[in-house]
This record gives sequence, structure tokens and C-alpha cells, in this order.
Amino acid sequence: MDANVHLGHSGIHGHLALETPALLEEMDRFGIAKALVSHFTAKEYDVAEGNAALPRDLDQRFVPAWSTSAEPWILKQLEHYKAKAVRLWFSPLRHNFSSASWSAGELYEYLQERAMLMTVSREELEWNTLAAILQDFPKLRVLLLNVGYRSDRYLLPLLERFPGLHFDSTTYVAHRQFESFVQTHGPERILFGSRLPLYTAGAAIAVLATARISDEARLAVAGGNLRRLLGEAS
Amino acid sequence: MKSPVPIVDCHGHIGTHPDFPAYKICPQEMVQVMDLLDIESLAITSTLACYNDCPRGNQEIDEVLQKYPGRFRGYVTVNPNPPGEGLNQLERYAHFHRPPLIKLHPDLHKYPVNGPNYLPIWDYAHQTHAIVLVHTWDSDPNCGPLLLAPVARQFPAARILLGHSGVTWRGYEQSLEVARSCPNAFLDLSGSQSHRTILEHCVNRLGDERVLFGSDMPYLEAAMVLGRVLTARISDEGKAAILRHNFLRVLGEK
Repeated sequence: MDANVHLGHSGIHGHLALETPALLEEMDRFGIAKALVSHFTAKEYDVAEGNAALPRDLDQRFVPAWSTSAEPWILKQLEHYKAKAVRLWFSPLRHNFSSASWSAGELYEYLQERAMLMTVSREELEWNTLAAILQDFPKLRVLLLNVGYRSDRYLLPLLERFPGLHFDSTTYVAHRQFESFVQTHGPERILFGSRLPLYTAGAAIAVLATARISDEARLAVAGGNLRRLLGEAS
Repeated sequence: MKSPVPIVDCHGHIGTHPDFPAYKICPQEMVQVMDLLDIESLAITSTLACYNDCPRGNQEIDEVLQKYPGRFRGYVTVNPNPPGEGLNQLERYAHFHRPPLIKLHPDLHKYPVNGPNYLPIWDYAHQTHAIVLVHTWDSDPNCGPLLLAPVARQFPAARILLGHSGVTWRGYEQSLEVARSCPNAFLDLSGSQSHRTILEHCVNRLGDERVLFGSDMPYLEAAMVLGRVLTARISDEGKAAILRHNFLRVLGEK
């Protein structure tokens, strides 16, 4: 079960974006049964437009991460969609709202109360900002995507302090970094992610498949952890 | 997951990295990972030399080559500053490999790859038919791939490996432009970004004979690049060429 997939049309990555049937075919190539998906339209354009586009492109193999802003109406929309997971966007050039608690606190409170999974890309959130959010909302379930292979000096202390913090494996690709993390910290906090359709899933699967870890740990990373966070049976 | 043919890897390192913790980087641990993935040999450059100190870094490589014969090939890493030091290093460590393997890192050495201080090194590479691995990055003023097309034409006997092929999708396009116009330029697949269909694109545009497997071990995860190659929609013969035969041919061992 893949924690990091984008869906729909892209105005930036037009040659790589895949319509739903082609995306499902690509997932089949790599044995990916399900995916947590967010929509390119929300990332590149507008949160509400992206959420309107999601149902159009959804398949039963996708779990939607509904996009959010800090505006009050979004909470009603999340209720309407019966959201299990949300995706936050903080790009100053597009979504243009502060991730700080004085701006998005009501949203974080809402997500924390409902144990809803909040996903956000590391590129959109400074480490100190993430730490401040988690200090204010320590039970928030956060899935940090695209952490990058240079992240450990920030990521590891935050994982130590905040049990609700998780991350995906897509860009955690320094030499034996994934393997070492699981051997040292256990498999519970890292989730398999491919970054389809921009990246090939072959890279992330090879990192997972060649790690010298137990099969139980590999299965947890491959989908068990995400199912647990979404409240699904593993 | 293991390679179907023993891999001959064109891009590796020895040493730690300054900006994030290093895992399993001693040569013995690297050899264990190489065995796991069936990497027969890895061409290495000193990370210390890439960042800061070529004389000490190249000495490190010399020691590893002596301790693990057959598993590693050694690049002599040269810095264009101070002028003249690079040629001294090349002469001192000429025993690493014939033809010479030379590593340039214009990004970390903060000097353009086509600048005058590099000219004696390029001339040496031309005279000796050396294999020169150059770190490249999309449009970078010191190491953008397009800077290397005039260099490749001026020094046609030097074989230039475009390290990371410029990394980004646009960097790959720039590297392809260089390789398509310069028969002595080669693409190295190492890099942290696993663009979907990029390998198929390279093979379609260039053929599979000048695409080389590079891992960047122990900086980056070698399995990541292996996964890209094994799952690409290219022929099995093309995969074997990329994983092994192409670099052996460049080295003159095939």
C-alpha cells in the first residue's frame, strides 16, 4: 500500500502524469494494491478544485487524502467527504496560508480530535514549524512525505519526541539509510511511498526488497503501518 | 532482488558525508552490500578529496585499492586549485588504473569545469585516453551538463562520464544533448531522483551503449538505481549492457 501517489492531470509534469486507468496499470506492474492519493489539481491550483476533481478520478483502490486550507469552510467539506486523511499545502505562491498554529490551529485541533492522518510534504514545511505544530498538538498523526536523504539530523530527534510523527520512504535513499533506520528504530514509523507517477516505483520497491530486515518489518512498511494509521484492519 | 549479471559500477565513493549521518560506509560493509546486490566492482573517488583535500583523499583510495584488490577501481580526484596540484596528483597516483580514471567535482571545488585551471587536466585526459567522471547538475554554472559539450569536442580522446546525468529531468535532457553530439560522452544513472520513464527516454534517444550503471555508494542507495534499471521497459540485452558491459568496454576490458 503506497503512501505517496498523485492523481490526475498535471500542468507541470504533463508528460509524467497518468490518468486513473494508466496509473492503476502502473501500480499493477509493481504489485501495489492500494494507494493514498492526492490530486495534482489541488497541488498546482486550488484546494477546493482539487477536492472536486478527486471523486472524478478515484478508484476503489485509492484512499483519498483530501486537500485542506486553514479556512473554516474546509472542515465542513472534510465532514462531507468522511475524510480519513488530508493533504496540506503551504506553497506561498499558490495556497498562501501560514502553517503556524495561529493560522491553522483550528484545523490541527480538528484533525487531532478525530485521529485523522495529516500528510504534508517536507518541501512545504520547515522543520522548526513542524516541531512547533507537534508541540502544540502532540497527538496529531502526521505523515511527512518526501523527507529527503539529508533529513536524519532533524527527523530523528522529532521522531523521538513526537510519537504521532511518521514519514514515507520515497526519498529516504542514502546508502543503507532505510535498512539502518528499521534495524535501529523498528518499522512502525516509516511507510512505503513511491511518488508515482513522477518517480518509478521500481526504485522504492528495490530499496524495500533489499533491506536486511525481517519479513514482518518489511510487511509493516509495505502497508501495515498505513492501514493502521487509516484505521483499517491490517 | 539481485542483478541478473554482475554489475560493474562506474560511480562510488569512500568516506563520510558532512551533511547527514553515514551508515555502513566502511569498505568492508560496502563489499557486503555489493555482494548482496551482485556488484562485482565499484569505481571509487574519495569524498574527502571531493570536498576538501585531494592529496589525503587520494591516499585513502590507494589504501582501499591495496586492501580489496578486484573489488574497487580508483579515480584520482583532482582540484583545479591551486593550479598544478591536479597534474601532480595524476602523476603520483598513475598506478590506480590504466587508462586513468579521473574525478572532477566542479560544484564542491567551486570552479567551472570549462575554466582555464582545468585545461591542463583535460589535456592530460586527452593524451592518456582517460575516463573522466564529472559531477553534473542541471544548468549549474560550474557543472551544468551543457558546459561539457565544447570540452568533449576539444578533447575527443577523453571519455567523459556525465555524473548523475544532471540529476533532474531537465538535467537529463541537457546530458542527452551533450551525449548525442559528442561520442565520447556517457550518461551515469546515479542520483537521488528516480524519474519515471527517464531510462526508457535515454535509451530511445541515445541507444543503450552509452548509458552506465552508477550507484554513488555509499552516498546513495545502490538498490534504488538497480530497481530503476531492472524495472525499465527496455530489452534484457540493454539492461545487461547498462549494468555491466558498457563500462567494461569504456575501461578497455571487453
